Amino acid sequence: MSSVPMRPSPSENPPAQRGLSAGRIVKYLAIALALFWSLAPVYWMLATSFKTELEATRIDPTLIPVHPTLANYVGLGGQSLPFFAFFLNSVISCLATAIIAVVIATPAAYALSRARFRLRGTISYSVLLFRMLPLVVMLAPLYLLLLNVQLLDSVGGLIVGFTTFGLPFAVWMMKSFIDAVPIEVEEAARVDGYPRWQILLRVVTPLILPGLLTTGTFVFMEAWNNLIYPLTFMTTMDKQTLPAALVLTFTGQFKTDWGGMMAASTVTTLPLMIAFFAVQRSMVRGLTSGAVAGA
Amino acid sequence: MSATTLDQPVKPAPARKNAERAPWIDWMVLPTVVVLAVVIGYPVVYTLVLSATKYNMLDMVPPRYIGGGNYQHLFTDPIFWTSLRNTALYTFGSVIASSLLGLTLALLTESLTGWRFRSVRALLLTPWAVPFVVVAFLFRYMYLQNGGVINAVLLDLGLIDKPVLWLNNSYLALPAIMVANIWAMMPFFFLLLSAALAAIPNEVIESARIDKAGTWSMVFQIKLPFLRSALFISSLLMIISNFNDFAKIWAMTQGGPGYSTTTLVVYVYRLAFENFNFGYASAIGVVWLILLLIFALVYLRAVRVQV
Repeated sequence: MSSVPMRPSPSENPPAQRGLSAGRIVKYLAIALALFWSLAPVYWMLATSFKTELEATRIDPTLIPVHPTLANYVGLGGQSLPFFAFFLNSVISCLATAIIAVVIATPAAYALSRARFRLRGTISYSVLLFRMLPLVVMLAPLYLLLLNVQLLDSVGGLIVGFTTFGLPFAVWMMKSFIDAVPIEVEEAARVDGYPRWQILLRVVTPLILPGLLTTGTFVFMEAWNNLIYPLTFMTTMDKQTLPAALVLTFTGQFKTDWGGMMAASTVTTLPLMIAFFAVQRSMVRGLTSGAVAGA
Repeated sequence: MSATTLDQPVKPAPARKNAERAPWIDWMVLPTVVVLAVVIGYPVVYTLVLSATKYNMLDMVPPRYIGGGNYQHLFTDPIFWTSLRNTALYTFGSVIASSLLGLTLALLTESLTGWRFRSVRALLLTPWAVPFVVVAFLFRYMYLQNGGVINAVLLDLGLIDKPVLWLNNSYLALPAIMVANIWAMMPFFFLLLSAALAAIPNEVIESARIDKAGTWSMVFQIKLPFLRSALFISSLLMIISNFNDFAKIWAMTQGGPGYSTTTLVVYVYRLAFENFNFGYASAIGVVWLILLLIFALVYLRAVRVQV
């Protein structure tokens, strides 16, 4: 950045240096614009959630709530709709899916990464293909299956639904994490005479812990985002998940109450936001080793 | 073949033999296989069967075999073709736009370092953590005719002279949903492409600099070729996820006005759970499955997945 005229070092040639100052301004402007584009809607949601019903739909919107109020949040707790129940339903079903998916997927991912059995290639490809299946293709038969085993309208049925995308994803992602663990680490422990299961528990597990956490979070987020399964499998309103409840109630309670709607949206976003930023670092590593380095 | 095998240095034979003598390791794959067979294998086979039947749950009669009847109907069903077109527009439009935006941002933020880069990256990733349904309602609110911030700002700037009915106009509704979708999807491309940029070997950049490559030729001739595979993979992943996108469209327009935002997911959902026409819905599912398999094969070939 120095404006002091200097002999350019070999790595910074003059034309690049000259274009820099003007180029830099454009660059920072563009970054600022991108930040605005990414954050403004989120700010708008937060700001609106503190506005009164009247202020939220003013023809000339206010940038900052004129009469900030918590009424929208308080209203979520004490109205005809059990928002806390929706919240809990979402947390339970998504958390259970994430844990189940990771617990089932990790041993499989390890076997697919390390062992050399005959069906390994076929299974790996199938998992990848399953990952790409359109969910609606399975919607009708899954509905009939859950109907037959009496799991419709229950958290169990929802978890089965979420597993259809959570499990293949977890296997795929865990495999890329395990692939990144050098096999020499395990071989060293084996030479030292440790039995295989102890190596798995004491050597491999600690090494893939960030991967487990990241994968679990991703499955959780995908389940939290899912709307079509709760909408089709759940019939009792009290058992509904948060996103589905938002969609179902919007025609009634929130029809014009955008302040209340944005408060409910904020509450729906919060768990995802926390989960996302908690694992952001290892997520960057996991995603890139899976998608970029895997290429 | 396998990357792990290639990466392994040549080890003394006994150690390798030892490695292979643990058959229970192979069996660790079993729970996954069983669960996938039940929750995916069975439904897919069942879909194939249902697609050859006339089956409406409301009729209270068991499925009746009608062979290719559903498939014949499909070819003359204008709504099917409309939703196929909408799906393609929605998917490819959103993916192309957000990948280009993500790429631009990755290149722009590349020279930032340390806490600056980390905080800019964290802030740019924020939309990723917003649930799809919330994205939908948030944009629906901002698109409002009266009280929507987008109309208010555009009126203030004098770009329009009366509020636009973004989501109620059959030409504007699909692009309007796509804007929300692009907003939500861009962070994914930004993150993956940033990582791919960081993975370009330093020597490559250095030697290009010594050759006095300008900014543009640096981007187009040096960096982009390195990003090709990351760009390709992330695009295909997002194409597949967009084919499946239900939440945003359903929460914003429910496929309307008319059929202008009805994609295949929305159409199949409507057929199956508003008309309970499971047979026909399954047939569309099968056609779609075939389309997606073609994509999957392209993807697998392109990535040359190491299994």
